[in-house]
This record gives sequence, C-alpha cells and structure tokens, in this order.
Amino acid sequence: MNSSRRLFLQGTALALVGCLASPLALTAAEGKAMIALMPKSKGNAYFLSCKIGADRAAKELGVELLFDGPVDSNAAKQNEIVENWITLGVDAIAVAAENKEGISTALRKAQKQGIKVVTYDADALADARSFFVNQATPEGIGYALMDEAARLCGNTGEFAMITASLTAANQREWQKKIEKRLAEKYPQMKLVAVRPCDDLKDKAQSEATALMSANPKLKLIMSICSPGVPGAAEAVKQAGRVGQVKVIGLGLPNENRRYVKEGVIDSIILWNTENLGYLSVYAAVALANDQLKPGAKSFKAGTLGEFKIEGDQILLGKPFLFNKENIDQFDF
Amino acid sequence: MKTPQTLERSHGWRKWLLRHETLLLVVLVLEWSLFYYFGTSVNRRGMTVGFGTLDRQFDILRHSCEIGLLALALTPVILAGGIDLSVASLLGLCAVIFGQLTHDLGLSLSIAAGATVALGALAGGLNATLIAGLRLPPLIVTLGTYSLFRGLAEALTRGAVTYSDFAPRFLSLGQDRWLALPVQAWVFFAVAAGMWMLVHRTVAGRSFRVIGFSPEGARFAGLPVTRNLAGVYVLAGAIAAIAALIYTARLGQAKADAAIGYELFAIAAVVLGGTSIFGGRGSVTGTLLGVAVIAVLKNGLATLPVVIRLNAAEEISGMLTGFLLLAALAGSTIPKLVSARRNRSWSNGSFISPSP
Amino acid sequence: MSRYSRELSVLAVLAAMLLALGVWAPGFYRLQPLLSLATREAPVLVVACGMVLVVIARQIDISVGSQFSICSVAGGLLAAAGWPMVLVVPASVAIGAMLGMLNGALVAGLGLPSIVVTLAMLVTLRQGLNLFRQGEFVTLPDGVQWFGLSQSVGQALILAATGVLVIVLAAALRHVALGRQIYAVGSDAEASRLAGIRPRWVTFFAFAALGALTGLAAAMNVVQSPQVQPLSGNGMELKVIAAVVVGGVAISGGRGTLWGATAGLMVLACISPALVHLHIEAYWEKAIQGAVILLAAIAEGLRRRRSDA
Repeated sequence: MNSSRRLFLQGTALALVGCLASPLALTAAEGKAMIALMPKSKGNAYFLSCKIGADRAAKELGVELLFDGPVDSNAAKQNEIVENWITLGVDAIAVAAENKEGISTALRKAQKQGIKVVTYDADALADARSFFVNQATPEGIGYALMDEAARLCGNTGEFAMITASLTAANQREWQKKIEKRLAEKYPQMKLVAVRPCDDLKDKAQSEATALMSANPKLKLIMSICSPGVPGAAEAVKQAGRVGQVKVIGLGLPNENRRYVKEGVIDSIILWNTENLGYLSVYAAVALANDQLKPGAKSFKAGTLGEFKIEGDQILLGKPFLFNKENIDQFDF
Repeated sequence: MKTPQTLERSHGWRKWLLRHETLLLVVLVLEWSLFYYFGTSVNRRGMTVGFGTLDRQFDILRHSCEIGLLALALTPVILAGGIDLSVASLLGLCAVIFGQLTHDLGLSLSIAAGATVALGALAGGLNATLIAGLRLPPLIVTLGTYSLFRGLAEALTRGAVTYSDFAPRFLSLGQDRWLALPVQAWVFFAVAAGMWMLVHRTVAGRSFRVIGFSPEGARFAGLPVTRNLAGVYVLAGAIAAIAALIYTARLGQAKADAAIGYELFAIAAVVLGGTSIFGGRGSVTGTLLGVAVIAVLKNGLATLPVVIRLNAAEEISGMLTGFLLLAALAGSTIPKLVSARRNRSWSNGSFISPSP
Repeated sequence: MSRYSRELSVLAVLAAMLLALGVWAPGFYRLQPLLSLATREAPVLVVACGMVLVVIARQIDISVGSQFSICSVAGGLLAAAGWPMVLVVPASVAIGAMLGMLNGALVAGLGLPSIVVTLAMLVTLRQGLNLFRQGEFVTLPDGVQWFGLSQSVGQALILAATGVLVIVLAAALRHVALGRQIYAVGSDAEASRLAGIRPRWVTFFAFAALGALTGLAAAMNVVQSPQVQPLSGNGMELKVIAAVVVGGVAISGGRGTLWGATAGLMVLACISPALVHLHIEAYWEKAIQGAVILLAAIAEGLRRRRSDA
C-alpha cells in the first residue's frame, strides 16, 4: 500500500469518526440541567451502585445525569474528564476525588466558569468545592470496622487486614483510624499483618490463605477493599475454617450475599451507596439552583428526608452493618 | 548476515524514514483539524469551549510533557537496539526520593532536585552496567528493574507516605505558565532540542544507530560500543528523574505509584514515530511527532460530545491508539515484505527479532 | 548435564528457598494452604508453558493478561447463560486460540515485531473489555465451582490436569517434530527455512498455542470461585514472563525447557506467601521480585561468559 493510499484511508476513517460526532452534538437536551457524576473508578461496583441512586434522583428532579470516570483509579484521568465536562458546560459536578490536591485545580477551573462543585466519598481541597457529601467520616468507618472486629473476637486475639494497594488514599485513612481505635480501646487485640490485594479478588484469596497459614491463631480477616471481601471469604471457605476465622469488611451486599448466608462472612459494613449517589445529585442540583447555600445547617433531599450539615460536609449518616438478617433487603 | 541487497536497501530505508515522518505530520494535522472542527463549540453557558481553546491546548501540552520526556529518554535506547521498561518505575522512585529529600531531610529545592537527577542517572547506571557491561538482554534486565525501582519506591515510603505541601515556587513548575506556555513545556522543549542535537549531530549520537544496526560491526569499526550503550541508559535515568520533578509539581504530590503504566505509551510513541524496535533506524523528530499524535488523539477524542456521552473516552482512545500503532507498523513493514517477495529473499527476516 | 545448567541452578535456588522456609517459617508446610497455593497458581503455569513456546521461537507476547481476562469473562458469561462446563472449557480455549492466532497472523504473517504487536493488543483488548464489562463481576451459577464436585476433587482434578499437560507438552517439545521445529526457528530462522521448515507457520502455531493454553488457564480459573472478576488477568504477563526468564528460557530464543519455567514460576510464586510467613512487610515484595529477576539474569550472563571464555 503506498503512502497516498494509506493517507486517504486514514483520513477517511477519521472523517467518519468526526461525522459521527457532529450530529450527536446537536442533540444536547435543551433546557434540562446537566449534572455530571464521577466515580473513582468506573467499574467498581460500589460506584455503580452510587449511580443507581443518582439515576433515581436525576429522574425525580428531571435533570440529565452524566456518569464517567477512569477505568482504574487514576487522578490524571479524573482531571481530564472534569475538563471535558467544563467543555460541555454542565451545571454541576459531583466528584469522588482520587487525589485531593490534583483534582482541585480542575475543580477550581470549573467553579470559575460558574459550574457548581460538590465532592462525595472522597474529598478535594476545601476551596475547590462547595460541599463534601460524606458517607461517613473515615473515623466513623474505621471505628465501626474495629468495633465489629472486636465484638466478633471477644475483644482479644489476632487479626489481619487486607487493603487495596499500599498507596490508596482512602484505605490509608481508614487504616489509620482502625489502628487508632485498636490502640485506644482494644489493647488485647493485635493486628498481625496488612497485605495489599491490588483490588483483585483472586489475589486477596491467596493473601488470606497465606495469612491463615502463617498465623495459626488468627481469629479474623478484615478487608477494607471491596473486591477483597469475597476473596478472603473464599479463602476461609476453601481452608475449611469457616467459623474459626471470621471475615468482615467493606463490601457490597450483592458480591458477598452468598458468603453471608453461608456464615462465612459475619458482617459487611458500608453505607447505603445508592443513597450516597442520590444525596450527591440532590445536593449538586440544589447548589446549581441556588437553593443550597454555604452556611446551611441541614439539607432536605427528596424522599430521603433531612440530612445534617457539619461545616461544609453533608453527612449521609453512620456506617451501616449488613448481616444475615438484613442483607436480603438490599440489591446493590 | 547482511547481504549486499541490504546495503542497497539502506538508501531506500533512509528515503522511507523521511516519508514516515511526513506521513505522521499529515496524520497529526488531520486529526488536529478534525478535533478542532468537531470538538470545539459554544457550550450551554455561552462560552467557547473544547478542543479549540488555548486552555485546552495547554492542557494537552502539560499532560504530554511527562510521557514525552520518557519517550525522548527511550529514543536513543531503542535506536541502539535496546529497550528500557523501567523508566516509569524510575520516575516513581525519583518522585519519592525527591519528596524525602525535601520533606524528611529538609534539603532546599534546588539541591534536592539536583540530587534526584543524579540518583536517577545512578539508577540508569544499574541498567547500564548489566546491559552494556555484563551484556545481559535489555528486556530481562529492565523487566527486573521495572519491579525493583517500583518496589524500592514502595519500600522507601512503606507504601503509605505521600509527600505533598510543596513550596508554591516548585509547584509553579507544573502548574504555571512562563512566557505564555506552561513552564514544563519549556523544560520539555529544552530536553527535546538537546536530544535531537545528541542523536543527529554528534558522533556519539550517530553511533547509536550503528550500534543498533549491528553491535558487532560497530565494535569492529572501532566504535566505543560499551561506553555509548551504557551512556544511553544513564541518560534515560536522568531524564526520567526530570520527568519525575515535573510530574510531582503538576500533581502537587509525590507518591510511590506515580506514572504507573506510562512506559507502554512512551514505547508506543517512539515506535509510532518510525523508530524500529530492533534499533538502527529512527529519529527524535519521529518520536516527538509520535508523542504529539497520541496526545492529540487521546485528548481530542475526549472533547467529542458523542464520546463524552458514551462515557468511553479512555477505552476508545486506548483502542484507537492500539489500532494506530498496528497500522503504523503494518504501513512501514508491508512495503518491505512486498519488495522482499519480489527479490525472493528473506533479507533480515524481519519478523524474527535479533537478540534483544 | 551442563546443557541443563540453567534449569539446575533455578532448581537449586528453589530448593534453597524451600529449605530456608522450612527453617524459619515451618508453618509454610501445611497441606491445605499449599494445595490452595498450587491450585491458584496452576492456571499461571499453564500460561507460562505457552509462553515458553513463544519465547523459544524468539518472540514474546505481553498481551496474555488481557487474553486471560477476556477468556475468563467469556467463560463466565457462557456458564451464567446455562452452558454446561463441558462446553464452556473448549469455548474458552477456542476464544483464546483465536486471540493467539490474531497475534500470530500479525507477527508471522505481516512480519511485525512481536513486542509492539502484543503491546498494541494488550491495550486494545484490555480497553475493549473495559468498554464492554465496565469492571463488573460475573456471578456464576451453582455447579460451576469445582465443576459441581467437592473442593478436594476439584482441586485434585485441576492439579492433575495441569501436571499431565506439562508432561505432555514437555514430551511434545522434545519428540514431536513441530516441537523441535520451534527450537530450530528460534535458533536461526533462516537456517531452519533452508532445512525445509516453514518458520512463519511454526511461529504462528506458537502464538496460537499460547492463546489456546491461556483460554484453558482461564477456564481453570473460572471453576475455582463463584464469581469472575474482569480485572483478573491484570499483571499476569509480568509474572509469566518473569517465571519463564528466571526458569532459564533464553529471551534470544532457541533454548529452554518447560520444567525450567515451572521451577521459575515456583520460585516467584513462593515469594509472596514467604513474606507473609516470615512476617516481612508487604511493601518489600516488588523489590524482591525485581531482585530475583535481576539475579537470574546475572547468573545467566556470568555462566555464558564462563562458557564463552
């Protein structure tokens, strides 16, 4: 194939792509507000369940919802996507920030263009957003996990932790709070190891197997990364140590339902992620319509009712415990 | 074994090389124009936004500086017939070291920066010793250092520590503008100019291509193969350190997981630019064009409204980059195959790689 | 014996590791966790066997992780749609083979350099899968895990199948003509062509075989748990290539054995549980992996010098 023919083909291909682009650009809904929601990573079921609540809120409010994020947690990509939304001219943005400082530049830019910004799940810098919709403080989460672990172990014994990656910011926060609670309240318990699973269920399973084998007195495995919970549960099951080694963690009901019913997992702690998405969209829309202003003390979000606002944080509430009794009521 | 036909074809190769870069330039202009036309609009708030804005162009420039630097670092390495998979891991390690030097040891910014670049060069020296000194295969050595450097970055920070709160003076390197362009762009241009001079205008630089073409032949011709080969890896390390400084300044944060995955795109840019992965053929201009094509493609796609609505910017740009790479490879290899068949010879057996 | 000096030194390293563990972390030697470890790593070994073929043929394939992910998801979706495992396994193998043949066509057919081709495939396949699946788990119906049999039987089945596969492949490499042709092509393609071998077809076959084995490995992975995670192949290419290289397969082609690669994989696979048992912090793991690869390369380099001198 000579150069001119190749050029022609490449040019045609690109032109085709461009032609596809233009008519669709004109079908932007006129008049409807546009709210953009960004997860930390698009494929994470946790954020997908936030989207369910967000979709519901968008329908109730009659706004258009855009949902996009990096495929794997990537701060640089998050910035790029925010830029795209500024391009589109959305009315408000709700972001779960992978990198606090990194995303703030892009968010400030959005604010300068009149776009309202809230963060949810993971915060950016305070001046880059109007409110932070907090599902629960890292303290709330860490303490809830540690307390539940202690309860299941009878306040004494060894336990191990599985985290996402050693550098993940949220997990670092939670780990710090867990260790703090451990030191303050449960001196008879010991955290013997922290192993990363890189967000891979299978790796979590291998790690859990090794942990049980290396620490014969291990009483509990706590996974603070959601793919790690079913992984650890499977490891306990395959090791035949159900009941001897408890499994708890931060996870989604659907992924862990089977293990909870079988008694492998005692409880998973989360918050209603759908409500988180719902609340975030409501807050974003209210901001865009000037109904929610800085300094407000509470905020009413559709069918969910009133939520407390502490400073610039809208609190979803306390972490929620899913166990055998109530897990069937949830579908996410 | 190099046959006389190969020597004759080398003239054809040079002509082809020129054509490849021109083609790339045309592709760049074409995609840029397309994105400009379809990706720029007046948005719902009445502002002109999208691909065509100066802001956006600067962002593209900013985002491509780090990958561009890594691609520049890789160019002489690949020209000389080697490869370096560890550049992005080295970036992460240097970022973390810089954080430690400034935060834990309290060194001044300039001293810390200088030390970081020196350490980057030293780390590159490890690759150099094993590859040029011990004559180990570059693929394996840099596979090992790919893990080792990242591992050291994690070990130094225990995975946990993140360095932020850098002085605004430093952050301006990554976030401000100087003389109308982003600051890091000037650094990038300086390195690019330097690299071009090195590869195309110095004796050492010209030797890279010869070494890549035939290390034994170069040795017999009296070229300082070991020294020059070692040099490219050390240089790659130093440039990776510079990229680390820019990366940290842009994000305002130094973490062990900096730049994970960047090496793949850097290699793609170099190959797209016409440099043969086997060495012996290529140019710095090609690499720069390759970086530009990929950067514009990635960012331009993301400005097309249909892509935004599909929420698939990353996936589509990834897939298109893959296709583009394959197309570029096919485009440069098929003519050779056709003429080889015509001459009924296997020439260099292009699908068999020489010992990497 | 010096022909196998590389493999023997890997075995020596493995033996040393196992001995050290026996002394300092005897808890490592418990049947059930070792069984679990072996079963978990069996699919990786299967992929590594395929990679040996490709590397001996003087090529490389860094897209195996993405191939693995695609085959896992495909197998999972078929199983979830009601296909019996007896059909799902061959389907997964077939899909893997097709992906491998695509690589083979580009490398052997068009003559493109394998490292760049498979790099492009890695990105394209991974992003394609992300576009399609968005990272969502695939839930498998009951009866898929362990083929519906008990865990011990399932594990035994997987381990036995892997063992048989490795032995058969090793024998085939040595005694079947095609196997020896792979060595020949990897040593010197031109010479092998003059000897009547068809290097293009042999190379194509190597990639196809790797793809098929990856598909098989994916199926073996699917039956080990009740859910499939699309990201499951992430990072596999690094692990497999490192195992192959540490195991004595020369990256320049023409040399290497399956049992060397097996030993190499065992060395690398033991690093992580060893760290857990020795109570060494997790953040040393990557550095240690890198060091192991480098040491293996250095050992090979030193030996080559001694034999050249």
